[in-house]
Amino acid sequence: MTVGFYQHRESSVHRLNPLTKLTLAVAVVIAAFAVPLTWWPAALFLVVLVPAVLAARVPARFAALTVKFVGPLLVAVFLVQGLFFPGEGAELARLGPISVKAEGLAFAAQTATRLLVLIGAFLFLLLTTHPGVLMNAMVQRGLPPNISYVVSATLQIVPAFRERAQHILRAQQARGMATGGGLRRRIGVLLPLIGPLALGALTEVEERAVAMEARAFGATGRRTSLMPVPDTTAQRLARWGLAAFAAATIVANALGVFA
Amino acid sequence: MIELDDFSYAYPTGSRPALRSLRLAVPAGQLCGVVGPSGAGKSTFAHALAGFIPHALGGETAGRVVVGGRTVADTPLPDLVRDVGLVLQNPFNQISGVKFTVREELAFGLENLGVPQEEMVRRVDAVLAELRIEGLADRSPYQLSGGQQQLVALGSVLVMRPSVLVLDEPTSQLDPVGSGQVFDAVRALHRAGVTIVLVEHKLERLAEIADRVLVLRHGEVALDGPPATVLADPRLADWGVAGTRYTAAARLARERGLWPEDRDLPVTLDAAVAGFRAVTGGVESR
Ligand SMILES: Nc1ncnc2c1ncn2[C@@H]1O[C@H](COP(=O)(O)OP(=O)(O)OP(=O)(O)O)[C@@H](O)[C@H]1O
Ligand SMILES: [Mg+2]
Repeated sequence: MTVGFYQHRESSVHRLNPLTKLTLAVAVVIAAFAVPLTWWPAALFLVVLVPAVLAARVPARFAALTVKFVGPLLVAVFLVQGLFFPGEGAELARLGPISVKAEGLAFAAQTATRLLVLIGAFLFLLLTTHPGVLMNAMVQRGLPPNISYVVSATLQIVPAFRERAQHILRAQQARGMATGGGLRRRIGVLLPLIGPLALGALTEVEERAVAMEARAFGATGRRTSLMPVPDTTAQRLARWGLAAFAAATIVANALGVFA
Repeated sequence: MIELDDFSYAYPTGSRPALRSLRLAVPAGQLCGVVGPSGAGKSTFAHALAGFIPHALGGETAGRVVVGGRTVADTPLPDLVRDVGLVLQNPFNQISGVKFTVREELAFGLENLGVPQEEMVRRVDAVLAELRIEGLADRSPYQLSGGQQQLVALGSVLVMRPSVLVLDEPTSQLDPVGSGQVFDAVRALHRAGVTIVLVEHKLERLAEIADRVLVLRHGEVALDGPPATVLADPRLADWGVAGTRYTAAARLARERGLWPEDRDLPVTLDAAVAGFRAVTGGVESR
């Protein structure tokens, strides 16, 4: 089944420890926002993210999702920042009360490319990393199992519940309940379904909770893992390197290097 | 191994107690079948043995349940589960949601207990083979049929190697082949000395493997004894429990004078065959 955004491929990027990819994503985003040079986020996108996505063999899906998520933001940013930029500056064009300034466009470009990096970095992570493996890696690194439960369960149980709701709906349709028609009518038809579904879910939540405990989910001792996520010294060094890089951009900015 | 000492239980929202003054003991290694009509309290009974009652579901209890020498109410669940495994009637509720493959789902409990990895792999592979679900190992637990989920839920309990196993209608959603796999597994566990409480509607199957059968009715033990006696009891039908088809066939035959009056009604195929053979004087059509 498709889980989240994950795209299965045989690639060296897919085989990386999820923490390495997570560190890369976070470091790139920090760097993009820390350095106030207009061209910088675009450079990060082109030099880091694009090659990474190509190596992971998911360029098409990456491009499609990036356009889908960044596209509307891009339009909004250019409209707001480009056209209504409040600061001083040379006017490029004027249309009634609207004035287009070079500074405004530059600022819009920077903001837009920063968003591009932000969304691109996490798409890269999610496209190449199975959420189960990501959670395994994080639990093995000390993430509380409860948090991993919330993430994984949301990805799995919620769709399963939704499927069940559809089953009930289809069952009602099969029994001659008309589910088409106007909104009012549809609400009237759906209302009786909510009860059983919600009640069922509530008592089930109770039983689920016990079932989890019966499998020692609440145990406090050391946990082991059926599938330890492989890690290498090289990757560990790379993660430190990425962290240092991100920190350096923040420090450099604070010291006024880019001013 | 299991002892109920005047045990009663009422759900927090229940108007009447779901279990009433149960007094019984299941010795170690016994396979005890539980039957009864819908709402009789079979699932409640199963929950009480495994400690889900009173530890998780509220409500009022009286008396005690003792499993493996420990009073269930006084033993924390995580300690109890090393000894007692419960397979729920609804397998969907038993699947953790944390794991994305059946293989990892099976290992979930062992991971939480800190079982070493090699040992886990061994146990998981053994259970996959025993239940013949190797083919599902890399599938998502949520992309399975109800019957397949039942096998996975059973497997997730079996890997824990409990000495007491409580199964609440483990084959309700399975086809005959899947049911057969479950019964084979139960038989093997029984031979290995595991104490088993099996709530089951398929009486023909139950009759073949149970040492003893309890009939629950309105939260009380209505009948208790060897399957041959209990399952042939004529009152079962009045209580809303359909007996085995062998019993039904022999009863019909008796009404027509085709079953010896002095012979008990059968509950297994073997007994039925022996009975009919006796009536026909051993003459067999060829
Ligand atoms: N969570 C609950 N809250 C309140 N009452 C409950 C709850 N679960 C069961 N009951 C009630 O307790 C009684 C026994 O229910 P139980 O589920 O044990 O029956 P059962 O024998 O397992 O039935 P079935 O064959 O349908 O599974 C029933 O009257 C039922 O309505
Ligand atoms: Mg039940």
